[in-house]
Amino acid sequence: MTEAPPVPDNAIGEYTGDGKTLFWLALRTSLLTLLTLGIYRFWAKTRIRRYTWSATRLDGTRFEYTGTGLEKFLGFLMAVVILAVYLGVLQLLLVWFGMTIFAAPETPEQAVLQGMGLSVSALAVTPLVFFAQYRARRYRLARTRWRGIRCGMDKAAWGYAFRAMGYWALTLVSLGALLPLMTFRLEKYMTERSWFGDARFEQHGSWTGMYRQMTHLLIGLALVLGGLLTGSIGMATDQPALIIGYAGFAVGLVWFPIGVISWRVQSFAYLTRHKTLGGRVTFDAQPETKTVILAWVVGSIVLAVALSVATGIIGGTVATLLAGSGFAVETGNGEHLFLPIVLAALGYLLTLAATQAGALAAIVQPILKHYVTTLTLLNLSALDEIHQRAADPGADAEGFADALDLGGAL
Amino acid sequence: MQGAAHLYDGHSARRHAVTVSLARHDLALRIDGSTLPAPLLWPLADLRRLRDHADADQLVLTRHQDSKDEQPRDAARLVIDDAPLADWLRRTRPGLDRRDVTRGTGRRIALRGTAALAAVALMLFVILPALAGTMARLLPMDREIAFGRSVKAQMERFLGGSELGGLDCTAPEGRAALDEMVTRLTQGQDLGYPLQISVIDHGMVNAFAVPGGQVVLLRGLIEAADSPDGVAAVLAHEIGHVVHRDPTREALRAAGSVGLLGLLLGDVTGGAAIAGVAQRLINASYGQNAESAADAYALDALAQAGLPPSALGDMFEMFRERHGDTSGPVAHFLSHPQLSTRIDAANAAAPGKALGPVLDAAQWQALRNICG
Repeated sequence: MTEAPPVPDNAIGEYTGDGKTLFWLALRTSLLTLLTLGIYRFWAKTRIRRYTWSATRLDGTRFEYTGTGLEKFLGFLMAVVILAVYLGVLQLLLVWFGMTIFAAPETPEQAVLQGMGLSVSALAVTPLVFFAQYRARRYRLARTRWRGIRCGMDKAAWGYAFRAMGYWALTLVSLGALLPLMTFRLEKYMTERSWFGDARFEQHGSWTGMYRQMTHLLIGLALVLGGLLTGSIGMATDQPALIIGYAGFAVGLVWFPIGVISWRVQSFAYLTRHKTLGGRVTFDAQPETKTVILAWVVGSIVLAVALSVATGIIGGTVATLLAGSGFAVETGNGEHLFLPIVLAALGYLLTLAATQAGALAAIVQPILKHYVTTLTLLNLSALDEIHQRAADPGADAEGFADALDLGGAL
Repeated sequence: MQGAAHLYDGHSARRHAVTVSLARHDLALRIDGSTLPAPLLWPLADLRRLRDHADADQLVLTRHQDSKDEQPRDAARLVIDDAPLADWLRRTRPGLDRRDVTRGTGRRIALRGTAALAAVALMLFVILPALAGTMARLLPMDREIAFGRSVKAQMERFLGGSELGGLDCTAPEGRAALDEMVTRLTQGQDLGYPLQISVIDHGMVNAFAVPGGQVVLLRGLIEAADSPDGVAAVLAHEIGHVVHRDPTREALRAAGSVGLLGLLLGDVTGGAAIAGVAQRLINASYGQNAESAADAYALDALAQAGLPPSALGDMFEMFRERHGDTSGPVAHFLSHPQLSTRIDAANAAAPGKALGPVLDAAQWQALRNICG
């Protein structure tokens, strides 16, 4: 699995999207979303996916996203019908049992009840969240095509939701020690229900093999805990231990988040390297943690600078215009303040839209590009024998994920 | 017009190298390829391109065709990198960007939209109120009283109190006068609750009932009343709400609908705040029936206590003069247009045997000074 067979028959992923085009597309669509009081958000997401999918190229063929904004909107409406009934009744029951989270607790008993109420409502929503996550992935796959062939996923969202609950419980009880088990088994569950045409994906490898990808996470954790321990010993006895403890703690605080990102990038790479398609096509993924972190840092800086310059220019222009028209805020007796308030609100909304669009173009897209360009498909000619699969109506078209606000940038 | 292109036939993942030409007599694109079993003819009118495509030079065509997919499109894709051919198609085929929807889409939108609205409306206006009513009746007394205490604490915080009970007015003479008023109003009646009346030091002209048998009068109301009978009338009205368990039912209903509205609006643009506002609009009153029932209870209680029922009408008049017909902090009393009807009802109610004013002058003065 680790050694690629020596055939020239492979293809490296390419990504051709550019930041400017994506930024303007995202800005236009998020302004339309504001204008339509949020309804256009389904179309906005669809258009951005169409762009990013078609910017991804493998072996000279671009991917295609075939979803429509309309079906997402309809799916959301359907999810609302079901969630409205479920959540409304749930809330009411919780209040009835005195477990309301709206009122301040007065007695310890009441505080305990409220805590229980919180966990009961969290527990009641959790299976829905996992259900929605699986459904969302199924929808995205069902709307993804390459070489004219549909991808797809089996209908198994409830099975996923209950397994996810179980593995999460195990991970929590083991204080995170079984995180690779959860990550591996859940990904295996989804992968082995995923298809490209009539070819099924398989997940190989093992969960114990994933502990290596946790190295930096564990080092960071060890530094934080060890630093605290050494520091507290030093507090009681001698100075040097205290200083060493603090230093270790400080280094650990930086190391730990890097370790988290490293885990996410490298566990993804491990899982991808151990996938096969139709038993013959294999994958190689070599994303680098430092490139992902760097893309994030550089993107954030670019975004921050661009935003402050833009707001400075726009704000200054507006202020000049107002001053030029003989407008002074202190003369306003309420009614005259209307214009500046409207301008400020518009400016706020515009900044919000520009920030989202900028983050997509300057942070999300470069990271996506890195993942795509470090992915290789091996033994490509096996693909020629793959045939089309039937269309998937898509049920709620991610409606539950949208209603529960689970969607990421893409 | 002729050019090279690639075709994905929609059946296999194979890539066909093809030549595309124009079959003039058929008004169609003719697609030839050595790996295709037979040349394909795609009518020009059916050609559609993929939108939001990342490669501006490339044209990806498909056909308008009935299908089981999300869009009425053929599964085959024709990828044209040949610039003159792509340009010619873009120039001469304005229908490339046409959006086709499957037949019956309008009906589906209408159906789903109506279903979603109906579900939310059904929950907000039928199921939640009904469930809340049932649950309010089933709620054990001690739990309701505990719940009421925390609601009152929140109200106090809203009115500016920094600590629990910090705003309570407790001057002993005023307290005694208030207790006497309550005793006279509730004599010989089983309320089903241990009644707890408190006065809060706040200038707003208002009074409200809290779950668990509590009634709160604000100092502003006592100061604005012309006579102790007026205060007694308002008190009787609020006791009516308590007896009918209106505040408990309302609190249960509000809890359900806040969660629901938050879900609908999403939290992208401060949806929670909007949900809060909407919630307050919905709960401006307990509803016309509950208010009429509380009025009826109050008129009855006043008559039994030997007080003039018209005092309730006088208080309504006073509210109306101060705040107009429908707005202001006492909207709770005034929230529906039939205020005149309610005033008339109060004036027409049969008085009981008059037993004199509820408080004497000295007691009235003490009540007015209850906040010190």
